[in-house]
Amino acid sequence: MNQEKNMLAGPKQTLLTGLTAGASREELIWISGYIAALIEGGEKDTAIPEPVVAVPMPQKITLVYGTETGNSKRVATELAAKAKKKQLQVKLASLDQYRLTDLTKEENLFVVISTQGDGEPPVAAQKFYDHIHRNGFRLEKTKYSVLALGDTSYPMFCKTGEDVDAQLEKLGGKRIVPIRKCDVDYEADADTWFEEVIRSLSQTVPAATPSIKVQQVPDIKSNKLIYTGTVLSHINLHDTGSSRETYHIELSAEGVDYLPGDSIAMVPENNADRVEEILSLTGIDRTRTIPFKESTVTVYDLLRKKIGIVFLHERVIKKYAAVVQQEIPEVRMDLFTLLQLYPVKNTEQFEEVLKILPAQSPRIYTIASSPSTHTGEIHLTVEKDVFEINGTQTTGLCSAHLSQVAPGSTIEFFIQRNKRFRLPAPEKDLIMIGPGTGIAAFRSFISERDATGASGKNWLFFGEEDFVTDFLYQTEIQDWHQTGVLSKVSLAFSKSKSTNIMVQHKLLEHGKEIFNWIESGAHLYVCGQKTPMSLEVESALLGIIERFGGYSAKETQAYFDKMKEEGRYSKDVY
Amino acid sequence: MSEKSGIEKIKEASDSLRGTLKESLRDELTGAIREDDQALIKFHGMYQQDDRDKREERAAKKLERLYSFMIRLRLPGGFLKPEQWVAVHEIAGEHSTGVIKITSRQTLQLHGIIKSKIKPTIRSFSKAKLDSIATCGDINRNVLCSSHPKESSIHEEVFSYADKISRLLMPKTKAYYEIWLDEQPLLDKKEEEDPLYQDRYLPRKFKIAIAIPPNNDVDVFANDIGLIAVIENDTLKGFNIAIGGGLSSTHGNTETYPRLATMIGFTDTEEKTLKAIYEIATIQRDYGNRSDRKLARLKYTVDKYGVEWFVKEIEARTGFALQPAREYAFTSRKDFFGWAQNAEGRWYYTAFSENGRIRDDEQTRLKSALLTIAKTGKANFRFTCNQNVIISDVLDADKNSIETILADYGVSKETEASSVIRRNAMACVAFPTCPLALAEAQRYLPSLLEKIELLLQKHALEKEEIIIRMTGCPNGCARSYAAEIGFVGTAYGRYNMQLGGDRIGERLNKIYKENIEEPEILSTLDQLFGTYAVKRNTNETFGDFSLREKWVTI
Ligand code: SRM
Ligand SMILES: Cc1cc2nc3c(=O)[nH]c(=O)nc-3n(C[C@H](O)[C@H](O)[C@H](O)COP(=O)(O)OP(=O)(O)OC[C@H]3O[C@@H](n4cnc5c(N)ncnc54)[C@H](O)[C@@H]3O)c2cc1C
Ligand SMILES: Cc1cc2nc3c(=O)[nH]c(=O)nc-3n(C[C@H](O)[C@H](O)[C@H](O)COP(=O)(O)O)c2cc1C
Ligand code: SF4
Repeated sequence: MNQEKNMLAGPKQTLLTGLTAGASREELIWISGYIAALIEGGEKDTAIPEPVVAVPMPQKITLVYGTETGNSKRVATELAAKAKKKQLQVKLASLDQYRLTDLTKEENLFVVISTQGDGEPPVAAQKFYDHIHRNGFRLEKTKYSVLALGDTSYPMFCKTGEDVDAQLEKLGGKRIVPIRKCDVDYEADADTWFEEVIRSLSQTVPAATPSIKVQQVPDIKSNKLIYTGTVLSHINLHDTGSSRETYHIELSAEGVDYLPGDSIAMVPENNADRVEEILSLTGIDRTRTIPFKESTVTVYDLLRKKIGIVFLHERVIKKYAAVVQQEIPEVRMDLFTLLQLYPVKNTEQFEEVLKILPAQSPRIYTIASSPSTHTGEIHLTVEKDVFEINGTQTTGLCSAHLSQVAPGSTIEFFIQRNKRFRLPAPEKDLIMIGPGTGIAAFRSFISERDATGASGKNWLFFGEEDFVTDFLYQTEIQDWHQTGVLSKVSLAFSKSKSTNIMVQHKLLEHGKEIFNWIESGAHLYVCGQKTPMSLEVESALLGIIERFGGYSAKETQAYFDKMKEEGRYSKDVY
Repeated sequence: MSEKSGIEKIKEASDSLRGTLKESLRDELTGAIREDDQALIKFHGMYQQDDRDKREERAAKKLERLYSFMIRLRLPGGFLKPEQWVAVHEIAGEHSTGVIKITSRQTLQLHGIIKSKIKPTIRSFSKAKLDSIATCGDINRNVLCSSHPKESSIHEEVFSYADKISRLLMPKTKAYYEIWLDEQPLLDKKEEEDPLYQDRYLPRKFKIAIAIPPNNDVDVFANDIGLIAVIENDTLKGFNIAIGGGLSSTHGNTETYPRLATMIGFTDTEEKTLKAIYEIATIQRDYGNRSDRKLARLKYTVDKYGVEWFVKEIEARTGFALQPAREYAFTSRKDFFGWAQNAEGRWYYTAFSENGRIRDDEQTRLKSALLTIAKTGKANFRFTCNQNVIISDVLDADKNSIETILADYGVSKETEASSVIRRNAMACVAFPTCPLALAEAQRYLPSLLEKIELLLQKHALEKEEIIIRMTGCPNGCARSYAAEIGFVGTAYGRYNMQLGGDRIGERLNKIYKENIEEPEILSTLDQLFGTYAVKRNTNETFGDFSLREKWVTI
């Protein structure tokens, strides 16, 4: 330490010692993180790691429910809300949403489940029920308890609850509260059961686990680190009959360090058949190695993984024309088309062409998960990009690939930090505007605030085409609304209503209230399509400020600029 | 135990069936309505449902269940004017699945109406002078009346009672008009004070049917109140009254059972008949079980207090004595397909619509046919309790043109070509919309019948008018307990086979085999038909034979 001490001039020195003397370990961790951040970005907004970091991280519990007619869901949701007030981090999930492979990872698992048929589990719980009866795995670190809903007028009273309780024990789970069986008037029993649960947990709540916000400390190293994530699940969020495809993709990403607001970036591979066609068309030897950037790669790898070969920029077309010494109109084209229409003389000339082709540009996807809720995972919300080229339907290279990745396959990516798109202090209010895939960032934000019990209010604006088929993450948004994490949700479905309603219309509809939120310090975020969405949203917001603030156009602009300076208006648009 | 059931509390707190329905409609986040409102919306003639085929898929997609609403019209006696049919047809196309369903209580249902379309739907119905008030819920339901005008020259007179009774037992609340038709809230709530239903309505659904002998097409004894028109030399003398009918039971709950109505007497004037009906309803209101909904139907009240007590109570409340029931006789319980002419010389065509599903398919374009006929304005529409439609009141002069339409759209062909048992059969809705369904019914029975038809041919029984009915659960919506062969769903693909019911609806069936699947259903029937074919007496019905053969004992 001596060295460093001497590095600081007197007053700074006293400040530092004053700051660090008697600081708790967490506080020191946080301070170091803060400073690391300053070193990295130097921007003020790295002040994200708000003091909240220093408070003990709440213990995590998983609360799952199996319901047929909704009672268990109702109970579980209410209990989840209670738990959060008690500073517990709750993962609430219906058993048909719950990923069974997570079971072995659970530390505190609480099951609310009803009995149906004559003693059978609810349809939504069948998979879970079968899974735990299949054995073949152990629940060594799992503490659990079961709340069984039933009806004494049935012979097999609460049979399913009993089965689950017994089976979890068989699998090695540690029952911390005995099963409670409820008749049709279940409220009172449910509460007592949960109080017991809380009590037995509080005996085991670890003192401030500093596993905490270490992630919140921006980490320079991980910045361009290439990770390989395994696809855990992959599903099209639109119901059949929708005109579009948007995929929710869950990747295993143990130890990957990111914050809500960050994105992943990946370099898509070119279509294999297309590469083969190019190879045979030019007759070049696929194994031949040629220099690329600092290293050398084979021709095949170059064409497949390194360079862009579709929709080449006019710039590139021009260079190509120069290499092959032919007249070529400067319109964007694929390499293959070029080679067909304006062939290269020989393989040597093709090598020249390879040198002028641009490196494949990475595609960016906003992370839709939160480090605190979806520990060890990264989720994405990817819309398959479909467009027409003179009549024929074409799909985007990367999104088309991601629309097909099967569970078990892997994806290479790196983290794209987004320091201008960060959650504010926990007590600040949030207005989030994220139609379409823009919801991704906010699924991350809300999950994070949910898990960390941030006290600020949250208002989500979401929009899509059709309420019935296109309401991305509907059940999650409903749960957040029920448990109160989302104070308000405003929806715009352009197809459902005869009039073509969009988020910006919803903003205007709630103009007065939005202005009040802004006035009282709310932070605004926009995520998703750049044009026209983000532009229309912005003009709607300006309109609102002008109208309800009673400002001139000029004052309005000034007001808006000030919001930006204060980091109270952030965009992640594309 | 005597703690009031949840529904009772909801009714009382509902501010005359308003609840928070308006708020529920405004909620953008979900296609569902609030839970308490789900109980209340029934009184307005609607049920919240969801597509059970899609539950798992949508859950995986993080989408809520595919909620939609079923709406049931109030059509006393099952009668519709041509312009009203056109309206229903158009509404079905615009807001629902398009299929129009004739129910086993001779009214119409539309399915798959999403929340945002409910008000437009009801507004359009209202324009056509149609409503869905009290077609569901703990209240008097759609009132039935034998459909076929040929049954009696004084059909019209009897038929008019359906409407009188329906209006007599209508709730007074204006909630329906406020919520769905945006009418101004009442300034003076006194206007909707309801001496009959008060703020608690009935403990359970309440059903009334009028039968015109000799046909018991309405299954009069399956109702809480059954009226049998007593007609002597072409004048209506009055009505025999039977009470306490109801078919449903609950698997594994021995306290529940199907029951046929008990004959309690006769009334000879309109005033007395209506008064008696009204007071039977008030007795059920005051004495019916309000803590256990499974035991709340009138049938349980009657059995709990005894028929004698009940009659005394009626007489006390009406202030007159019931006369002894008069002679009557049922000889059938079916629809008479094809053309028939009534006393006044008008023509009636009864068309077969399997399980009441009115739609167009390759061979038969029933839906288009009915629309075309309706547009001519030359026929009314009547619906039967066997889920069929009667194109009715056709003048002699118009008969040919109607006949041509029926032929062009393949309707007469379908009606004539369908086998006897198929035309007598019924199945309830069940999957995918019915939340209580344990097994398939209307989607499955048609294919099962194909196989049963072969068995009957094998035993040369294809002309036998055996009544086969299937329901997807023990609630018995297609009156499977009142069939000669009843199938009651117990689990997906499994049914209880019930035998011993008679042909005219005066004797219920009993379980013969439990929980069986198609192969066993067919092998069993093969045997039974075999025995029946050789050992039956002349004209002995399959139902009666099952009993004599002791396949079941009643
Ligand atoms: C449409 C219809 C069957 C059909 O295919 O035609 C029907 C359909 C349903 N019935 Fe029924 N019932 C229908 C006639 C009957 C009958 C037959 C009759 O009344 O002649 C019965 C047996 C007689 C009786 O009431 O005992 C019947 C006894 C039930 C019951 C059992 C009532 C009870 O006493 O326990 C239920 C369940 C309940 O009410 O709790 C029920 C409930 C239902 C519901 C509404 C399911 C529900 O509660 O959510 C079904 C809607 C399915 C759907 O998607 O449309 N339905 N239901 C019939 C409509 C009649 C009408 O126009 O009002
Ligand atoms: C910060 C940021 C965040 C993002 N977050 C998300 C997110 O969360 N979810 C999400 O789904 N997307 C997101 N995107 C967009 C995503 O990065 C990709 O741009 C998108 O998936 C399309 O890439 P692609 O490879 O599928 O399509 P590409 O193949 O790159 O095509 C993209 C466009 O180029 C044009 N084009 C391509 N080939 C041709 C051709 N042969 N002829 C004519 N035109 C052609 C088309 O207009 C096409 O739409 C984000 C983008 C950014 C910058
Ligand atoms: C068709 C059906 C079957 C049922 N069978 C049983 C049973 O066998 N044992 C029991 O304890 N409860 C039984 N119940 C009662 C439910 O478990 C009880 O209503 C519970 O509150 C439902 O909770 P849920 O809404 O979360 O599914 C049954 C309910 C229904 C509708
Ligand atoms: S019998 Fe059961 S399954 Fe069929 S419609 Fe009625 S309630 Fe539904």
